[in-house]
Amino acid sequence: MAEPTVLVVDDSPTVRKIVQMTLQREHIKVITVGDGLSALTSVADEMPALILLDIQLPRMDGYQICQIIRKHLQFRQIPIIMLSGKDGLFDKMRGRLAGSTEYLTKPFDSVELVHTVKKHLANWQERMPAQPENTRHRLRYRG
Amino acid sequence: MEQQDRIMDGDLQTLGLQSILKMLALSGKTGKLFVSSGSETLSISLRKGQIVGLHEEGVSQPDMLGMLCLLNKLDPPRAQHIRDYARGDMQMSLALLVERGWMSAGEMQHRLEFLVTQATSHALRWVNGRFAFHRQVIPMESKMQPLDVDSVLLEALRQADEWEEIASEGLTNLSRTTVARWLPEVSKDVRSLGLSQEYIEVLCLSNGELTLQAVALALMAPEARIARIMARLLELNLIEVVDTALETELQQDLSNIIIRCQHILAQQRQSKNPEQVLLGLITTLSACINGLLVHHGTYARNLRGRGHIPSMEIVRYLERRFAPQLQTLSQQQFSILETTSFSYGQLDCNDILTLNKVVKGEQLEEFYWEAVQGLVAFLRIIFTELLRDEVGNSHTGRQLNVAWKIFLSEIDHEVQQYQVYRAHRNTQQSRGRENIQPSSINIVQNRQNPSDQHGDFWSPETRRRSI
Repeated sequence: MAEPTVLVVDDSPTVRKIVQMTLQREHIKVITVGDGLSALTSVADEMPALILLDIQLPRMDGYQICQIIRKHLQFRQIPIIMLSGKDGLFDKMRGRLAGSTEYLTKPFDSVELVHTVKKHLANWQERMPAQPENTRHRLRYRG
Repeated sequence: MEQQDRIMDGDLQTLGLQSILKMLALSGKTGKLFVSSGSETLSISLRKGQIVGLHEEGVSQPDMLGMLCLLNKLDPPRAQHIRDYARGDMQMSLALLVERGWMSAGEMQHRLEFLVTQATSHALRWVNGRFAFHRQVIPMESKMQPLDVDSVLLEALRQADEWEEIASEGLTNLSRTTVARWLPEVSKDVRSLGLSQEYIEVLCLSNGELTLQAVALALMAPEARIARIMARLLELNLIEVVDTALETELQQDLSNIIIRCQHILAQQRQSKNPEQVLLGLITTLSACINGLLVHHGTYARNLRGRGHIPSMEIVRYLERRFAPQLQTLSQQQFSILETTSFSYGQLDCNDILTLNKVVKGEQLEEFYWEAVQGLVAFLRIIFTELLRDEVGNSHTGRQLNVAWKIFLSEIDHEVQQYQVYRAHRNTQQSRGRENIQPSSINIVQNRQNPSDQHGDFWSPETRRRSI
């Protein structure tokens, strides 16, 4: 693995582009998807070092995606930062219960975003297991 | 690395890089020479006293493929194809270009040789620093033919002398990390300026992203020569030196504004009736306009580098810059904008937002709709002007422009949904006049049926995105 990849999952193209632009400026490789199922495919294909996950997504919400990833042995170590417009205690708690590592409230500040991402990427190489030969389709949604 | 493998180390002040390299070449050594000064480290791989590879730590690898595209030597689709395979490795990119027949093997060798000479020349100018030679570090396979140390040193010293010459003449204070970009005011054809091909090529590569070092590498010209050309282009007011720190700050601020406005837009999507939706759009648009005005008051080119500027001067500047456009819009297309005004450098839309106190029903909706269209037009004007002024046609400018267009497309999506609703309503009204039964289109029925006033105006997709 040459460089860490951050997977951004958000249904708003604006948010995807801004996050991508902000992180790329810090020389962080970014891939973006707009829905839950594509997110799972990307996790299996790309083995990201970190996931920025919106909660309200088409086809499958962020909590479900988080739970699926956390149940999978290969991917459970990936830090998941939830991005949400909801900043209530209950929402944050729900995110935690689903297995998120951190919770960022929209509208987020780009400096804060970079800081949070870098914090979780600091030890990504130690954390990530070697990528198996064929991880594609290993994540399945049975919802 | 094992300590016993390090067969030589020391201080650059005691033994210079030139002497070290000559010594290693004469004794036909194989291994890796590490030279460091401050945060920079250069590693030169040697095999039997010849240079077979070089790596510069702390210097990001320039995007050779992008530069070849800027120089019209490579098509962007081909560059992308190579980029996908090479994953940022310059040597690999060049090798793939040769493999595909898009570059000659001779040119690849020439470019790799130049890279070695350029980096060595830079390191030859280091006064303080350390060096260490490790014999057991076997050089990796390289695409480059081995280079004779003497010929590399000869050319590198010549290039280093040119830098010294520039410094002694006081010609320029540019460094190899300087980034330049075209000035936004330059719109005429540069060919009419009578510049030589080399000047035009440097101008083409001054895109606000590439360092002087990268430009030199792309053109395979000594850095000092490029510095001279850039100094001349600066004199001609064709380019400017990019303040990267300021640009980062500016991009962060604009990104934050876009994210905030997207968030407001998403929240407004929860509204269920057309008036509320339009009001939500007006709120989003005015917040966006005012966010941009505040931003421009901080980063406008005319206000930069002047220390603390009184707020009234900033207010006057913003009004002078944008009030005429607002006036033109209100006089020519959207008369509702006459109710808005500039107040302390901010667009005051209060009269529109409280219009429901004086107008009701369809008339109110008409006014809101006109306000939305007018504000969208004004927002576009402000952002275009602001970007042109602050960052011009630079890399950052283009990135922000793309992000901005994506955000505007989200607003346009909302506007289009309303237009669809209006079209259906108008059709139904005309049918109603002809005593035809109401249309079966749901969106119209929702509005027609009083019992369904709390029904959903927007599609489920749009409402879902509002959270």
